Amino acid sequence: MSTIALKTLFLKEVRRFSKVWLQTVLSPLVTTSLYFLVFGVALGSRLREISGVPYIQFVVPGLVMMTMIRDSFLNTSSSLFQSKINGTITDILVAPIGALEMVLAYVGAAMIRAIIVGTLVYLVALSFTWFPLHDIGWTLFFTIFVTATLALLGMIAALWAEKFDHLAIFPNFVLLPLAFLGGVFYSIDLLPEPWNTVSRLNPLLYMVNGLRYGFLGVADVSPVTSAGVVLVSFLVVLGAASALLRSGYNLRS
Amino acid sequence: MKPPVLCCRHVTKRYGKFTALKDLSLEVYEGEIFALLGPNGAGKSTLIHCITGLAKQTQGSIEVLGFDTVNDFRTTRRLVGLVPQEIGYDPFFTPLESLMIQMGLMGVEPNRSRAESLLETFALSDKRDAYTRTLSGGMKRRLLVAKALVHDPRLLFLDEPTSGVDVELRRELWQEVEDLRTAGTTIVLTTHYIEEAEKLADRIGILHKGELLLVESRESLLERHGGRSLEEIYLELIHKADGRHAA
Ligand SMILES: Nc1ncnc2c1ncn2[C@@H]1O[C@H](COP(=O)(O)OP(=O)(O)O)[C@@H](O)[C@H]1O
Ligand SMILES: [Mg+2]
Repeated sequence: MSTIALKTLFLKEVRRFSKVWLQTVLSPLVTTSLYFLVFGVALGSRLREISGVPYIQFVVPGLVMMTMIRDSFLNTSSSLFQSKINGTITDILVAPIGALEMVLAYVGAAMIRAIIVGTLVYLVALSFTWFPLHDIGWTLFFTIFVTATLALLGMIAALWAEKFDHLAIFPNFVLLPLAFLGGVFYSIDLLPEPWNTVSRLNPLLYMVNGLRYGFLGVADVSPVTSAGVVLVSFLVVLGAASALLRSGYNLRS
Repeated sequence: MKPPVLCCRHVTKRYGKFTALKDLSLEVYEGEIFALLGPNGAGKSTLIHCITGLAKQTQGSIEVLGFDTVNDFRTTRRLVGLVPQEIGYDPFFTPLESLMIQMGLMGVEPNRSRAESLLETFALSDKRDAYTRTLSGGMKRRLLVAKALVHDPRLLFLDEPTSGVDVELRRELWQEVEDLRTAGTTIVLTTHYIEEAEKLADRIGILHKGELLLVESRESLLERHGGRSLEEIYLELIHKADGRHAA
């Protein structure tokens, strides 16, 4: 493996999103903070408690996770897709760079962006409602594996997509609804059957609840179950992304 | 004779049912300028893509200095440079940044003075911090050549480097190609300007519908056809081959 190439590709990806930070960092920060102000601060004062914690705190991990899911996906998918379209992917394809370096560099940079936005959202929330992290270990576990999983999914989507419309399907028609239905704003215990059971088929439920356990110590599912679902998802997309990159799928004709 | 820098053995490339390269074998030797001629769609870019890693041959093997381009891709890609036919550029980076990044991607420690001297060579010094999209077409093409050279390749591919380029820049590129050869780089270029091959090439290959019709040194080719121009020889071969295909 070429460490110089890996470092260069990783830094190139970090610089790419840093150069357009208004769009890649500030915009999701503002959007997510607005959700927090409307649902957490304004409505939350009326809703009082869910699962034994004040509502204004209950929504924080959900919102942090929702933006991290979106931002890590968007970072890899738009970067890889754009270089496919404008032809600069050639620079990487002719270089002594294997699937491993590509995965590490793209996923690493996407995780950095997602974690920066997630941390900023958390800090905004703390300025309204201070609470200590319940468990730093679970918080880190879910942050790392969820952002990595979504970044890998973003790579797969970028490889598969042939036009911008294809790419827009995921964040708008898959990730956003699944995050909302995955309990960002509510506990699925509030749902009647069959919706409670149906909700458990949604992998994003485990991502949201995993981080909620790390932040607050409460969740609809145990952190071990959530961790299992997240790990399996991670391994599945890691295997798929590596296989596609190795085969040159939609990259090397 | 020196061992070949490039050795293609029975290379076949299919896109679905369409065969773009048919059982093609070719050797290119150290220090020469090899011109690959052929009409549009002959398979010139396809062959270059299989060698440089942009495509994968369906059958056959390709070696660069004895290393297999599939199994030893990390080694061969360090040895090979490509100036692609299509101009692609990254809107996020300046020419200087692009060169530094390309060095790193090629596995060479990014080196600012090397990048600056390449910009100098290609008359891009005053554009080094400009947005790449503000460069003229000729400047972008020169940046592509500079990018292909960041890692000092032993074997350089120029895929139609002069298509859509004005006379002045074409002359400059030809001079640059000669200088590179003098410095020891082996060069393979594709073109459909026959004049270009006649002026530059040591050896000439004519590709037509995925098959090499001929590989010969320029001198012996011109001598054999006593006094006729390369263009006449080329057209005759292509027409003959077309007739054969039609029959
Ligand atoms: N990715 C691809 N998929 C399908 N067909 C292709 C692809 N790339 C090239 N071809 C076909 O292969 C043939 C050779 O193309 P190319 O190598 O670009 O020719 P040249 O560079 O000699 O003009 C053409 O008929 C072209 O349409
Ligand atoms: Mg071509």
